[in-house]
Amino acid sequence: MTWLKLVEGYMPMQMVSELAFCILLFAACNFMLKRAGMGLPKFWAGIFVWGFVNLFYLKYRIYPPIPFSVRAIYGTVSACGVFMWVSGSQAEWEEFKRPIINVLDAKTGLTKAVRTLMLILLPIGLWGFAYNSFLPSFEEPIELRTVHPAPPATTKVHGKTYVLQVAQNPFRINLDGKYDQAYSNAHIVDQSMGRLMKDVKSAEDNPWDPNAKGYIKHVREGGEIFFQNCHFCHGDNLNGRGLWAFAFNPIPANFTDAGTIAQLQETFVFWRVAKGGIGLPGEGFPWASVMPPWEQHLTVDEIWKVIMFEYWHTGYYPRTWE
Amino acid sequence: MNYNTDTSNERTLMSDGTGKTHSRNGLGAWLLSATLLVAISSIPSMASAQMAEGFAEGSHPAPPPAEQIEAGKRVYYTKCVWCHGVEGAGDGPGADRLWPRPRNFNGGTFKIRHTASGQLPLIDVDLFQTVTHGLPGSAMPSWEGILTEEQRKDVLAFVTTELVKDRSWQDKEFEEFHVLQLDKLQPKPATPESILRGSELIVEKKCIECHGLEGRGDGNAFNLKDDWGFSIQPADWHKCWNFRGSRQDPYNVKNIFRTFSTGINGTPMPSFADNATIDERWDIANYVNHLCERSKDVNINGGKITEETVKALMEAQPLPIDPLTDKPKINFVVPSKFVEGELPTDEHDERWNLVERKIVAMGGQITHKPRNFVNRIDDVWVRSLYNENNIAFMFQWDDRSKSVQKDDVDWEPYEVNLQDYGVEEQAPGGSKFEEDPFHPESIAAKQNQYQVFNDGIAFQFPIKWQELPAPRKPRYFWGDEGFHVDITKWTADGNLKAYEGSGWDVDLEDRDDFTEQLKLVKSEWKDGRWTVIISRPLKGDYEYDTYIEKGKYIPINFFAWDGHNGDVGRKNAVSAFYYLVLEPPIPKETYIYPTLAAIGLVIVEGWVLTRRANRRKGKS
Repeated sequence: MTWLKLVEGYMPMQMVSELAFCILLFAACNFMLKRAGMGLPKFWAGIFVWGFVNLFYLKYRIYPPIPFSVRAIYGTVSACGVFMWVSGSQAEWEEFKRPIINVLDAKTGLTKAVRTLMLILLPIGLWGFAYNSFLPSFEEPIELRTVHPAPPATTKVHGKTYVLQVAQNPFRINLDGKYDQAYSNAHIVDQSMGRLMKDVKSAEDNPWDPNAKGYIKHVREGGEIFFQNCHFCHGDNLNGRGLWAFAFNPIPANFTDAGTIAQLQETFVFWRVAKGGIGLPGEGFPWASVMPPWEQHLTVDEIWKVIMFEYWHTGYYPRTWE
Repeated sequence: MNYNTDTSNERTLMSDGTGKTHSRNGLGAWLLSATLLVAISSIPSMASAQMAEGFAEGSHPAPPPAEQIEAGKRVYYTKCVWCHGVEGAGDGPGADRLWPRPRNFNGGTFKIRHTASGQLPLIDVDLFQTVTHGLPGSAMPSWEGILTEEQRKDVLAFVTTELVKDRSWQDKEFEEFHVLQLDKLQPKPATPESILRGSELIVEKKCIECHGLEGRGDGNAFNLKDDWGFSIQPADWHKCWNFRGSRQDPYNVKNIFRTFSTGINGTPMPSFADNATIDERWDIANYVNHLCERSKDVNINGGKITEETVKALMEAQPLPIDPLTDKPKINFVVPSKFVEGELPTDEHDERWNLVERKIVAMGGQITHKPRNFVNRIDDVWVRSLYNENNIAFMFQWDDRSKSVQKDDVDWEPYEVNLQDYGVEEQAPGGSKFEEDPFHPESIAAKQNQYQVFNDGIAFQFPIKWQELPAPRKPRYFWGDEGFHVDITKWTADGNLKAYEGSGWDVDLEDRDDFTEQLKLVKSEWKDGRWTVIISRPLKGDYEYDTYIEKGKYIPINFFAWDGHNGDVGRKNAVSAFYYLVLEPPIPKETYIYPTLAAIGLVIVEGWVLTRRANRRKGKS
């Protein structure tokens, strides 16, 4: 099914806006039907909205699937929402509970049949549900790991100590050779779809231009290192979908996601790259991460260059103190 | 380089295209003139070539407008250049550590096509789908969702005009397009007869010579080279999600039919359009499609397919594919089930079917030197059973070659820092096509020339995992100083040993007492697949050997070595942490509590009804 892409879990805005759109659409339809005198009873409308959100949308539209425990929380919250909606006024509340009362009273043949059916099915359903939850099941345990653990104040790489608060990327320089974040920010890729370089003809924007020098030349050198070392996991598009992404847990970081390098200072990334998984504090699950401590493979200069390439290629600015 | 590849089915023009590529890039001028001569002499044979069944004449596409080429250049130098290189010669900075190597566009040789063998591909169909869906089993990703449709078309305009240098889609004199009419051909239903016929045809059409008796790519696995002289390997039909032409739809038989009908340009895989009828091609495609791993493991028995085999193949369901990775979905739990009496002694024991087999995904070990950039083992199937005292693991994985170390080595089996003995990782290479056209230092050139070490498999548990504060684990790679691991390692020379690991760079410690209690039940390499069954006691010495208890999540992870890939020591394939769970019998509470709850609900129902009836009586 390639025509309909599932919503990825890390895109909450798409999820929220889709849901809002569906509910507005439903409200509009319901309003029209009411005008035409065929409005859906409150009881069924409430059940429909709740069921759509919890039993359909959150269960099948999102990938990777949301764990049941989280869906249970959403289910409770949305049940409260629906309850508030159907009990807005006394009249609405009466309208909502009328079908329930009718079945309880069982004055007609139909409601009698429904009541009998419910009386039998409810205990059986409860038994099945309880049996299922008591059955020992060995699902994957959910282990929540801290993605951005607190960094240390300093880090020592190749014998030199770097103070994370003041260290600077020595290759983030303008054409005069001075550290210049504004210059480099002006020459990263476009933020539009594809995140392409701004101008293929300009030696200031195109890392592959033979006349490229300074910042953009270092970007190319960083890219070469990335595609010799990092893409196996972080992917050709830096989206964490490399060749081996499927084998590892936690999956490699997605740099194109606004929640990773875009949230971080360059020096934090420097610490993470240099020290790798083994250098993480406990809350970052150092035992499970295959991220190499890159100080074993790269020089300090190479690490700075590859970081600069990652920002260039994703179109994000490193976070700064001001 | 190698011109002696088995390309008998490909037209002469094919090898001309590549010949010109070489000459452009630094071979002697005599070669240029020689290939030109051949090219001229081959024109009549091309023109008179008969069109095979199922093909129709296609047209030459119009050249793309200059603005589109310019737009495509912007895409290419942002996204593609890193692997495919500045001149499109497949020699970007990433190329030397990749196998298969990135495509060299210069000669116009493209693998996945609807056009006849040796011809250029359709730009708007074949190349567009390649960019959209990627080429699984290689580093080429899917660009859908990253580049817009327009951007993907732009980059193709640039590649096909500026980087394909030796041929042209507009060249009406030299180029023809015989297009496989895949949309108009109705797939033949995968009936038992069709599958059975397919299993006979793959012998008749000599597919097994390269792909092996069971289709695991273990036939002529060492001598195959592509048109540039790089080693390549025949496809493993049991991993359809790694087929380059699977187009993110691996169990679709049409993809197999297409590749089989048009061949793979630049490789020894010929087109069978001329010597197999459409009907026969569907039979073969149906059989190959059913060999791809499914929910049940079916014994292919060296290709001796019976009606029962076909039935079993047809009953098994395709594996669920993870849309994020286009590989089988991974679940990080390995279940083990209880059996009475002795544990199975071979893989055909029916009791293995009690437990679900789990696919364990493997990646190259790239954390510490020497890193393994090409892991030829990318998954291992695991099953586990236990009885009162022992637990058995059956590992099955596809490996095209049985590798048993013949040369003496200087190091001891427990040593891990083998780079001291010269075991090194692949150098990064880089853009140096001009000086060095054949890339003798690339992984693709060095494949199959490594010193052969032992194939192997290993798994590790934390020692004293009961004392680990969850979710703490020892480091995935042979533990750490604080938390040691219990490693069980089998190597193809017949050794099965227990070690204690305390860090990635610390020599393993022999646990001789426990080694004596390990049992190698079976180890066999047959038709491209290893089956290794290992049994070990559930409990040993608490201080050194992992206590395996029922109903608990016990961290476990796996390592695999392919000796022909030069895998040894830290150069291996690794998995993430999984959990081994010994499933206990269902406890009595499972039945008691739900029954109590249901009875409770009946009472509540009675109470509600009585109350309601009383209220109504009161009202009236």
